Amino acid sequence: MKRRDFLGSLGAVGTAGMLSTPALLSSAGRALAQGNDIPVGLLFSLTGAVAVVESTLHDAALMAIEEINASGGIHGRQLRPIIEDPASDPATYADRARRLMIRDKCVSVFGSYTSASRQAVLPVTEQRKNLYWYPTLYEGRECSRNVMYGGAVPNQQQDDLIPWAIENFGPRFYMIGNNYVYPKEENNYCKTLLEQYGGEVVNEEYVPLGHSDFSSVINRIRSEKPDVIFATVVGDSDVAFARQYHAAELDPSKMPVVSLTRSEVEVKAIGGEAAAGHFSSAPYFMGHATPENEKFVEAYKSRYGGDQVTHFVSEAAYFQVYQFKAALEKLDPSNITPETIRDAAVGLTLNAPQGEVLIDENLHTHLWPKIGQWQTNGQAEVLIESKERVAPKPYAAYAGQTCTGKGLVKA
Amino acid sequence: MSSKFQYDLVALVIFALVVAFGVPAVMNYDGFELNTFARYLALAIVSMALSLSWGTAGLLNLGQAATFGMGSYAMAMHLKLRASDGLPDFMAWNNVETLPWVWVPFESLTFTLLAGLLVPAFIGGLIAIFMFRARIAGVFVAIITLAFLVAFQLLFINQQGHTGGQNGLTGLAQMSLFGWIVDPYSMGFYNLVAGCLVVALAFGVYLTHSKFGLILRAIREDADRARFFGYNVANYQTLVFCISAALAGWAGMLYTLVLEFASPTYMSVSFSLAIVIWCAVGGRESVIAAAFGAIVVNMLEGRLSDVFVEGWHLILGVIFVLVVMFMPRGIYGLLSESLQKLRGIGRPRDHRDAETFPNT
Repeated sequence: MKRRDFLGSLGAVGTAGMLSTPALLSSAGRALAQGNDIPVGLLFSLTGAVAVVESTLHDAALMAIEEINASGGIHGRQLRPIIEDPASDPATYADRARRLMIRDKCVSVFGSYTSASRQAVLPVTEQRKNLYWYPTLYEGRECSRNVMYGGAVPNQQQDDLIPWAIENFGPRFYMIGNNYVYPKEENNYCKTLLEQYGGEVVNEEYVPLGHSDFSSVINRIRSEKPDVIFATVVGDSDVAFARQYHAAELDPSKMPVVSLTRSEVEVKAIGGEAAAGHFSSAPYFMGHATPENEKFVEAYKSRYGGDQVTHFVSEAAYFQVYQFKAALEKLDPSNITPETIRDAAVGLTLNAPQGEVLIDENLHTHLWPKIGQWQTNGQAEVLIESKERVAPKPYAAYAGQTCTGKGLVKA
Repeated sequence: MSSKFQYDLVALVIFALVVAFGVPAVMNYDGFELNTFARYLALAIVSMALSLSWGTAGLLNLGQAATFGMGSYAMAMHLKLRASDGLPDFMAWNNVETLPWVWVPFESLTFTLLAGLLVPAFIGGLIAIFMFRARIAGVFVAIITLAFLVAFQLLFINQQGHTGGQNGLTGLAQMSLFGWIVDPYSMGFYNLVAGCLVVALAFGVYLTHSKFGLILRAIREDADRARFFGYNVANYQTLVFCISAALAGWAGMLYTLVLEFASPTYMSVSFSLAIVIWCAVGGRESVIAAAFGAIVVNMLEGRLSDVFVEGWHLILGVIFVLVVMFMPRGIYGLLSESLQKLRGIGRPRDHRDAETFPNT
């Protein structure tokens, strides 16, 4: 008995000693020690599958934060960025979001590229009534009161695009996308527009995420001879698709790929030669000529290197930080909480690189849709620019449902 | 009662006390820290489940994440139904109009809890029967279970209308257990997870020291010899596979409660390999060591990523390589070897006798 007791107490002391090692367990020291700084979280993957795109969002948001700090902060208070790397894994997103929102007491967190990662962050964001600034275009059908949506929803990308494509190329659409919710929702919305403008779907096809062999798809395209390839293929898949499409010598002037997802980042990987002649619909292109954009591109290149590109998601990651700043400037410095920030942000206008954007009361953003044609130099020439700013309708494909300032309303 | 069993019991009691009382006290009963640690504890259960099949029976199951995911989705389906009136939202997006029949029974919590244990056990058992009846062993077990995991995850993601696809199941309600609304940031929830882990470990310790465990170890060492002794090797292997799968499902259910969503990444190859790493770092021969390994590695990952935002993956990788090179039996192996050495110093005469005896 004695020996067991001794062993037991030895073990307990040892284990307790190890557990109380401050570096391993306690982390209270970091929270809000620096007085007047405003803690904001940056939750973009710097490693893993989506890091290629997502790290550019991180760079753009961080640049905006540092610009704001360099010009004196907000009401004289500096922004303190707290950086986490969720490594492209949803569970890690959930874990790091908890850290930022609960432990580090960030008043807002900027983050995410994929819908899956946004969904992973949502439970803690809503429960803790925090504010999550999400810069990416997405499929709509979400109406959280705790997320600021900076990217386009289906109606903002397609309302101008579909009639234009039918008029210029013809009514027969071939839909190709990755197999997840974003392409399906975009296609659902596209079908309602096609019905309205007299177009038709010749094929609707989904390949797994990361899929890279498109030879059978291209064969089908060859035999179907559609007028438009309506593409919602993302990331590496899109790069492979574009290269193989080019290698198969399909002519973009007869059968152009009209993409909702292809930006300067993908085109850089595809190569200008293979991307040239095809189209993308987005609220922002790097070559867009406004003073705000020239300043943004100039700053981005001088900071991260001359070969870097800006694109429609990194632009939103950048201007959302400025929207956050503008909201804070409206507030009494003693009354800064995620919810007051949100309420102050509604109705704000801001001169973003793409044009003047406005935050709707449904927390999505009014944007300037554009249609660009890719050139051999990897840049897009903006062919069509919407005459007016387009309001976000995240439930456009679903009659009787509207996202309003009070959340989702069902008729 | 062997001395090894005594050690394991003492270790279990210490472990239970530290987890139940020590950790919350060190964390000042802070909701965030408790939630984070509850996540590690849930992962410790799946790690100890693997140690049962891998450490005790020598069956390296690389598909452990699949059974973990089944438990996780079972719980998520129940909570999703509770959160939605009628059809879950993602089904409407995928143009599914009526609730699929597989979803219907998940309205009931009792069914869900049973399904979270029994479905993984059943599916694990099914694979096991085919594998072990055919006397598949060694590395081929790993290959088959890995292939199953990949196929299962693909299938799951593809059935988007029924499973939520890549996004998984999100927007869940909170579980209500006999009228108690489970808040994942509360002490009560922490105790629930810690209690589950301790019960699972006690079961694991009992199992490894029972006759069943002894036979499993015999099979691990030499399956043919065990067969000649008259044991039905395939049945024993299948049973331990089922138990391990059920425990993984249990861990999965808790994991969904901690993170408040279920994602197909819970069934990914990288997650499955992570479980193997936790188990290896702790020591696969002991269920307690395997659970400890999961907690240590996850805690280390949490802290490293806090301090080295950019390089934490690399540092973690180097640590794993070092562990495999210098501590092939994990922390458990290190402890038991040094304990043996200590004993050796304590009894120098026996030692010398043993050495000199052959010469005389």
